[in-house]
Amino acid sequence: MPGLDDFKPFLVLGLALGGVFAMNGVGLVVLYRATGVLNLAYGAIATTGALISWSLLGGVNQWIAYAVCVAFAGVVTLVYGLIFGPPFAARDPLVKATATIGLLLILLGTMLWVWPPSTTRTYILPTRLHYYEIADVRVNWTQILGMIFPIVVTAGTAVFLRATKVGTAMRALANDREITAMLGVPVRRVEAAAWLGSGIVCGISGVLLGDLVGLDIVGVTFLVIPALAAALIGRLNSLWVTLAAGFVIGIVQSCLTAFNDVHIGTRPLADFRTITPFVLAIVALLFFARRRPLVRT
Amino acid sequence: MTTDINVVAADEVVPAAPVAPVGRVRRRPLKAAIVAGLLAFLLFGLPPLLDSFWMLVVTGAVIYSMVALGLGLLIGRVGMVSLCQFVLAAVGAWVALRLSYATSLPFPVLVLSAGVVTAAIGTLIGLPALRLSGLYLALITLMAAGAITIVLRAVLFPNGGGGFFGNSAAGGASSRMPRPSLALGDTAYFRYCVVVAIVMFVLAAWHVRRKPGRAWAAIRHSQATAISAGVNTVLYKLWAFALASFMAGIAGGLLAASAGGVSVQQFPVETSVTLLAVVLMGGVYSLWGAVVAAFLLRVLPALLDDWGVSTELLTILFGIGVLQVLMTAPGGLADQVPKDLARLARRIGRVFSRRETAR
Repeated sequence: MPGLDDFKPFLVLGLALGGVFAMNGVGLVVLYRATGVLNLAYGAIATTGALISWSLLGGVNQWIAYAVCVAFAGVVTLVYGLIFGPPFAARDPLVKATATIGLLLILLGTMLWVWPPSTTRTYILPTRLHYYEIADVRVNWTQILGMIFPIVVTAGTAVFLRATKVGTAMRALANDREITAMLGVPVRRVEAAAWLGSGIVCGISGVLLGDLVGLDIVGVTFLVIPALAAALIGRLNSLWVTLAAGFVIGIVQSCLTAFNDVHIGTRPLADFRTITPFVLAIVALLFFARRRPLVRT
Repeated sequence: MTTDINVVAADEVVPAAPVAPVGRVRRRPLKAAIVAGLLAFLLFGLPPLLDSFWMLVVTGAVIYSMVALGLGLLIGRVGMVSLCQFVLAAVGAWVALRLSYATSLPFPVLVLSAGVVTAAIGTLIGLPALRLSGLYLALITLMAAGAITIVLRAVLFPNGGGGFFGNSAAGGASSRMPRPSLALGDTAYFRYCVVVAIVMFVLAAWHVRRKPGRAWAAIRHSQATAISAGVNTVLYKLWAFALASFMAGIAGGLLAASAGGVSVQQFPVETSVTLLAVVLMGGVYSLWGAVVAAFLLRVLPALLDDWGVSTELLTILFGIGVLQVLMTAPGGLADQVPKDLARLARRIGRVFSRRETAR
C-alpha cells in the first residue's frame, strides 16, 4: 500500500484533470438544460480546436493560436446548434444526443485525416514553465488554471443563470420550450447563446487538455466520458454537484496511479484507474433510480 | 424541472415505426428466392473468387453482421441505444479464448458459452439503466464501452499464460483459438461463420415476428401503455439486451478463431461509436440493415484501402450519414436504396413509355 506522501503529486494532477472534467461537465449541463442536447462531440470539438491551434503555433503569436482554439470550438458548436438545433428541437433527448455522434465522427475523421496520429505533437502552454513548490510537490500554472477555471466558470454560469435576462430565459427553456416561446422569448437566439457559451468553455478545456494530457486524438476525444459521468452525477441539472463530481473523479482516478503494488490478478490496480468515472456514475445512477417511479408523465 | 432522469422516452431514435406483423405473415416467394440465391452465392460462388486477404475481410463482415444485427434489434425494435455492443464482441472473444485455454470443450460449446457469458455481462450493464430513460441507458453503455476497453487493454487477450487473465508476455500480441475440425481452412471457416450467421438471423426474425417482437413494439411505442396492457416491460427489455449481447458474444467467439486471431488493437473505443453509425445508416427496421452495416464497417474500408483512399474519409461520411438518417431517412440504406431504385426504374420506364406513345 502506498503511503500518504505518495499521493501528493497525483493529488495535484488529479485536481487539475478533475477540474477540466468538471468544467466540461458544467458546459454539458448548461447546454443540456437550455436545449436538451447532450453534446457527445464535446471532446472531439476540444481536440480539433487544440490541433488547429497547434498547427498555428509555429506561424503566429501563441496567444492568437490559443484564442483560435477557443474561437473554433465556439463557432463549430454554434454553427451545429444553428443548423441542427431546430430540426431536432422536438425530438427525444436520446435522438439529440445520437445526432451529436454524427458531429463527433465528422470531427474525428477530419482530425485523423489531417493530423495523422503517427507523428507525435507536443502542446506546451507557457504556463507549464512557471511553477511553485508546495509541500515538496511541483505545481505549475496550467494545473492551477485547471483548478481555478472550473470554479470560476461554474460560479459565473450560476450567477449568469440567476441574474441576467438571457440566463432567466435559459432556465425557462429548461422548464418548457413551447411555453417559453409563447411568452415571447426569442427561443432560438437564447439557444444560440447556450451553444456558443458551452462551445467557448469547450475550447478553453481544449487548450488545457492539450497541455495536461497531450494531443492524443482519440484519447482526448473520449475524455468526454469522465465529463459525462460528472454531469450524470449532477443529474444533468446541478452545476455545483457536477463541479464537485468532476473534481472527485479526477482525484480518485489520479490517486489510483499510486497503487502500483496492489494487484488485481497479475495487473496492478493502477492500470484500471480510468474506470473510476464509470463506477462512480453507475453508483450514482443506482442511487437515483432507487426510489423513483418507472414512468413519469 | 423537466430534466428529470426518470422520464421515459416518448420519441424514438428513428420515427414512423412500422408495427411488427401480427398473425400469419404473407409469404413472398420472390423475396425467399432472392435470399436463397444470395446465400448460395455466399456459400459456394464467392469463396473461389477471393484470395486469402479478401477471405479474411469477408469472414469479418459476416461475423460483424451478427454484432450489427443485435444492435439493430435494440434500436429498431425496442428503441434502446447501446454503445457497448462492439466492445461486447471483444468480451465474447475473451471468454471464448479463456475457456479454450482452460478446457478442452468442443468449438460450438465454446462459442455458445461465450455468447451466454456475454449475454449475462451485457444484461448486467443494462440493468441499472432499466428504470431510467433511453438517454441514460445510452450513456451508461458508452461508459461501459470505455471501461471495458480499459480493462481489456490492461489484461489483454488470453494467450496461454497462467492466472485468471491467462496472458503472458511470451505469448505474442494476438491470440487465436483453434478452429473446429470440420472448418480448418479459411474457406471452410467462412462457410461455418455464414451458417452461424444464418442461425442468428433466423433467431432475430423469429423474435421479431413472435411474442417478443410485439412486446418490444408496444414498449417502443409507449412504455406506460405497454405496462397497462400487461406487457412485462422489465423482462422484455432485459431479454432484448441479453439477445443483442448474446449475438455479440457469439460473434466474438467466432472472431477469436478467424485468421490472424484477435488483439486488443482490433477493439478501439471509437469503433463502438462507428458501429452505431453504420447500424443506423444500414437501417434498423430491416434485418438487411445488419448486412449493409457489416459491409460499411468491414468491406468498404478494405476496398478504399485497396484503392488508396484514406479510410478516415469514411468516418466523416458515417458522421454525415448519422445526421441524415436521424433527420430524413429513418429506415436507413436498407429502406432507402430499394425505394430509390424503384423510383429510378419507374422514371426510366416512364421515359420509354413516353417514347412509345410519341411514335
